[in-house]
Amino acid sequence: MSKFPISRRTLLRGAGAAIGLPWLEAMAPAATVKQVNPVRMAAMYVPNGMLPSGWDVQGEGKNFELSPTLTPLQDFKDQLLVLTNLWNQASVGGDGHYVKISGWLTSTTITKTLGVDISANGTSMDQVAAQKAGHQTPFPSLELAVAPVTTGVDRNVGYTRVYGSHIAWSGPTSPLAKELDPAHVFERLFRAGQPQAGKAKQDKLLLDRVLEDARALRQELGAVDKHRMDEYLSVVRSLEERIERASRPGQSKWKPRVKLDAAAKPAEVDPKNYADHVRLMLDMMALAFQTDSTRIVTFMFNNEVSNQNFSFIDGVKIGHHDASHHQKDAEKQKQYQLVNRWHVEQFGYLMKKLAAMKEGDSTVLDHSMILFGGGIKDGDRHDPHNLPLLLGGRGGGRIASGQHLVYPKDSPLSNLFVSMLDAFGTPVERFADSTGPLAGVLV
Amino acid sequence: MKVTRYFPTLLALPVFCLQAQSDFSFGEAQQMLTTYCAACHKGKTALAKFDIERYQTLNSVLAEPRRWTTVLNRVRDSAMPPKGSPAPSLELKDKFSNWLDGTLRKSACADGISPGLAFTRRLNRSEYSSTVRDLLNLHVNAGHALPADGAGGEGFDNAVETLFLSPIHAEKYLEAAKTALGYAVKEPRSRKVFLNTAPGAGLTPEQAAEKVLAEFLPRAFRRPVPALEQQKFMDLFRVAQKRGDSYDESVLYAMQAAMISPHFLFRVESANNGREPARLNDFELAARLSYFLWGSMPDKTLSDLAAEGKLQDAAVLREQVARMLKDNKSTEFAESFVEQWLGTRELGRDIKPDKKLFPEYYDEEIASGMRYEPILFFQEILANNLSLLNLIDSKFSVLSNKLAKFYGFPNKDLRQQPKHYDLPENSRRGGIMTMSAVLAVSSLPNRTSPVLRGKWLLDAVLGTPAPPPPPNVPELQDNKAGAPPKTLRERLETHRQNPVCASCHNRIDPLGFGLENYDVLGRWRTEDSGKPIDSKGVLPDGSEFDGPDQLKALVLKKKELFLRNLTSKLLGYALGRGLTLEESCTVDQIIEKLEKTDYSAHTLVNEIVLSIPFRYKAGTVANLPVQYTETSNRD
Repeated sequence: MSKFPISRRTLLRGAGAAIGLPWLEAMAPAATVKQVNPVRMAAMYVPNGMLPSGWDVQGEGKNFELSPTLTPLQDFKDQLLVLTNLWNQASVGGDGHYVKISGWLTSTTITKTLGVDISANGTSMDQVAAQKAGHQTPFPSLELAVAPVTTGVDRNVGYTRVYGSHIAWSGPTSPLAKELDPAHVFERLFRAGQPQAGKAKQDKLLLDRVLEDARALRQELGAVDKHRMDEYLSVVRSLEERIERASRPGQSKWKPRVKLDAAAKPAEVDPKNYADHVRLMLDMMALAFQTDSTRIVTFMFNNEVSNQNFSFIDGVKIGHHDASHHQKDAEKQKQYQLVNRWHVEQFGYLMKKLAAMKEGDSTVLDHSMILFGGGIKDGDRHDPHNLPLLLGGRGGGRIASGQHLVYPKDSPLSNLFVSMLDAFGTPVERFADSTGPLAGVLV
Repeated sequence: MKVTRYFPTLLALPVFCLQAQSDFSFGEAQQMLTTYCAACHKGKTALAKFDIERYQTLNSVLAEPRRWTTVLNRVRDSAMPPKGSPAPSLELKDKFSNWLDGTLRKSACADGISPGLAFTRRLNRSEYSSTVRDLLNLHVNAGHALPADGAGGEGFDNAVETLFLSPIHAEKYLEAAKTALGYAVKEPRSRKVFLNTAPGAGLTPEQAAEKVLAEFLPRAFRRPVPALEQQKFMDLFRVAQKRGDSYDESVLYAMQAAMISPHFLFRVESANNGREPARLNDFELAARLSYFLWGSMPDKTLSDLAAEGKLQDAAVLREQVARMLKDNKSTEFAESFVEQWLGTRELGRDIKPDKKLFPEYYDEEIASGMRYEPILFFQEILANNLSLLNLIDSKFSVLSNKLAKFYGFPNKDLRQQPKHYDLPENSRRGGIMTMSAVLAVSSLPNRTSPVLRGKWLLDAVLGTPAPPPPPNVPELQDNKAGAPPKTLRERLETHRQNPVCASCHNRIDPLGFGLENYDVLGRWRTEDSGKPIDSKGVLPDGSEFDGPDQLKALVLKKKELFLRNLTSKLLGYALGRGLTLEESCTVDQIIEKLEKTDYSAHTLVNEIVLSIPFRYKAGTVANLPVQYTETSNRD
C-alpha cells in the first residue's frame, strides 16, 4: 500500500481517458481502505440566547442574506443551513434558563429539583446516535466544554445548576461529565491512536478484578445504591470494551485516519484566557473528527446563565448574562450582539478548520453536520420560540446545505434530530415530540 | 450501648417558631386553595391527582406530608399557580407557606426523628484527591484531571443525588491511580507509609506483598479487609510476578486495582435490612466523620477508635470533633463548605471583575487573600469555638498583608500568609457580608448590583431566597431613549412602581443598597461616578437602616433565620444530601442548643455529629423514628 495515495486529480490527469473508471482504493488515505468516509455529528451550545434583530435572516431558500450576526460565515454560506421557527415545546415555562438548555438535545423538559429525582426525562440525540454507532470508534462520543459545572443549586427557581451545565444525557438520569482541558483531550486521542496490546491486556485484568468487586458489592446494597453500582459497572464495562478492542489491534476494523504527532499537543490552558481556551478546544474537536477517534462531539461554549466576561471583544464591557438582559437598551443590545457574533465566528473557525482537512477529494466538513445554537432566542425574555439554529457541513452529502429554511411558527426541533440521525446512519422512527423528518433538510 | 425504648415520644417542640404561623388558620389556607387552585385541582379530574376537596380537615393534610411538602415547594418557588393564572399576593403566599411549613414540621417532629437511608456514594473530586494524598502520603493533586462535580441537595458537590458517573470517570480513575502510585513509589516519605516492606531478610516477595497489602487495603477501603478478599489482590501480584515484573511493579499492580475498586472510590454504607433504624457501623461512622470535617479518609486515630468500638460514645465523638477541627486538614472542609455556601467558588471562574476597570484583582496575592478570607475566618471560628454570630458581625478577620492594605488598614506585622487580625475601630468590616470576595461575587464585572447583592443576602445569609422573576418579563425597565440618564437607584425605584416587580424587589433591593458603599472589589467608597452613595433602605416590615453597620444590626435581629440557614446547610453538607422534612426537626433542636450555648461553633458541629440523621440509617420501614433515649450516652 502506498504511503502517499494518489490524488484523484493526479490520477485523472495521468490516465487521460480514465474518467468513468471505478473508484480505486489507492485514492483513499492509507487507513481507510474499503471504508467510506464516515459522517460526523457535533452540537455546539451557546448560552443566554441571541439578539433577534442581529440574528434573523432575510430571504428564503437559496436566496438569503446573512444577517449581521452571521456574516462571519460568509465563506461557508453554501455549507450552511439556517433554520427558522423551530423550538422545543417542552421547554416553555419552568424557568428562564435551566429548562431551555438541558432539554436542548432531548426535546423534553427537566424535572424540577435541587437534586433528588434529577431527570432530563429523555436521552439526548447525540447519545441516541452514540448508543447505536459509538462502538465503531475508540470513543463513542466526546463531551467537551471550557467551564466546569456551575457551583451550587439555584434556590430562586428550585433547580440544581447541574441542569444548566449539561446538554448530553446518556439517559434521563445521567448527564455526561465534560472534559475541559484540551491537552487531556489530545492525550486521549493520541493514546487511542496507538493502542498497546500488552498494556491493554494488563488493564483489562485490573478491570475484571474490580468488576467482580462491584458485582459482589451490589448484592449488599439498598435499592438506590444498587442503581449507583450499576452506573459504576456500566462505565467500567464501557472502558473495558474499549480496552478489549485495543488489546487486539489486528482484529479491529478501526484505524486512525490520520496519525497524531505527539508534538502537536496543545499547551497548558491559561484559565484566564477564555477565547484561547475555546479555540484550543475547537482544534481538538477537529482533530477528533479528522482522526476518526469519535464521530460524535458535543461542545458547550459555557453553562447557561454564564456571565462570562467578554471585554476582550472591542466594544464589550459587560458580562454575557448581563448583556443578554438588554432591556431594549441600545448600548446593551450592541454589546449582546457583538458577543453573539463572536460565538458565530468560532463556529466559522471550526468550519474552516474542518474544510481544510482533506479526505479523499472532499473534506472532513463535507462529511460533518454541526449543529450550532441554543435553547433561548432573545435572552432578555428567555424566549423559547424561533430558536437560533444553524447546521454546518453537508453530512456526507445528505444535507441540503446552502439554504435558509423557514418553517411554520413553533415547529418541533425534534424533527431536525430525526433528520440528523437519519443522515448519521442511525435512523429513528420518532424522537420525543417529533412528527417526522424536518422538511427540506435532507437531500 | 444502653438503649431505652419508649414511644411515641414527644420531643420538645421548636422554640423557634415562624412568625406568621400563629396568625394563619387552616380555614384561611382552605380559602386560599379554593380561590387559587380549585380551577385545576378539584374533583375527579384534578390535575396531578391533587384534589383539594379531599382535604377537609387538618389531619387529612398531615396524613400526607410528602404530597403537601411538594405543594409547599411549588407555591414557594412560584411554580404554582402557573403563569397566566390568578396568583395570591406575595404576602398571602408567604403566610400560607410559613403556615404549611410550620404545621408539617410540627407534626413530623412529634413522632421523633427518623434517619435517612444508608448511602453508598462515590468520592467527589476533592475528596478523591485528598484521599489519595493521605493514602500515599503524597502531595500531588491526583484528581486534577477528573471532571468537576455538580451540586445537589443543600447546594454542595458532595450530595449523593448529583454524584454521577460518566464513562470518562473510569478512564481517568485508572490513569490517576497509575500516575499517583508511580510518583509515590519514587518518594521515600510515601514509601514509608504505603510500601514499607521489601523481600529479603527471610521474607519471600509473596510474604512481603502480603504484609504490605494487609496494611494498605484496610486503609484504602476504610474498613477491615478479610483474608479472602486480600487474596484476590494477591492474585494480581502473582500475575505480575509471573510475567516478570519487579517486586515494586507487582505490588503497584495490585494497588492499582484497589484504587479503582468501588470499595475505594465509593464510601460504602451497607443497607440496613432490619425494620427499624440502626446505627452506622463504627467504620462507616469514622468515614462520615472524616469526610465531613476533613474531606478525606479517616486517620489512624479514628480507625483505631472504630476498631476498638469506642467511636459511638458521645464523649469520644466530641473529643474527636475538637481534635479534627484543630487539624490543618479542616481547612479543606472550611474551603469546600464556605465557598459553596457563599458562592465565592465562582469568583475567578465565571465571575471575573473587569481587568481594565479593576486591575487590582489581577494581583495574585490580593485575589488569593480575597478568596481565602471567608474560608480562614470560618476556620478560625471553628477551631477556637467562637460564637457563630461572628459570621454576621465581628471585631476581627483573617487577612494577608496585601489584603489589609487593600482595605486601607494599618499593617500590624502581617505577612503574605493570612492570619487573625483585630479590626481597627470603625473599620466598616467584620463578618462575611462585608468581605471583598462576597461583595465581588455578588457584583457584575463592571459595576455593583444592589439586586444581586440583595439576592445573595436573602439566599446565603437569611436562607429565604427570593422567588424567580416572572418568566418573560424583563428584570429591569430602562431609560427611554433620549431621556436624561437616571441613577441605578432611581431606575430601580421606577421598576418597583410596577406592583408585579415591587412585591419581590421591595425585599431584594434595599438590602443591596445597604452595601452600596462597597465597590465591585469590596473597597469602601462614598461616591460612585461623582454622585454620593445613598445606602439607606427600608425593608417591607418597615424597619429602616442607613449603611452597612445598621444593616448588619438588622440581620443580627433576624439571627434565627441566619442560624436556621447555616445549620441546614451544614447538616446537609455533613450528610451529603438534601434534608428531609424530618431532618428540619433536627435543625430545630440544634438551634435550641445553640441559643443555650451562646451560639458556640463547637455546639453546632457536635450536635450535627451526634444527631440521629448523622449516626443512624433507616431500616426497611420508611419513616420509622429512632425510638430511643440515650441520655447516658448523649449528654
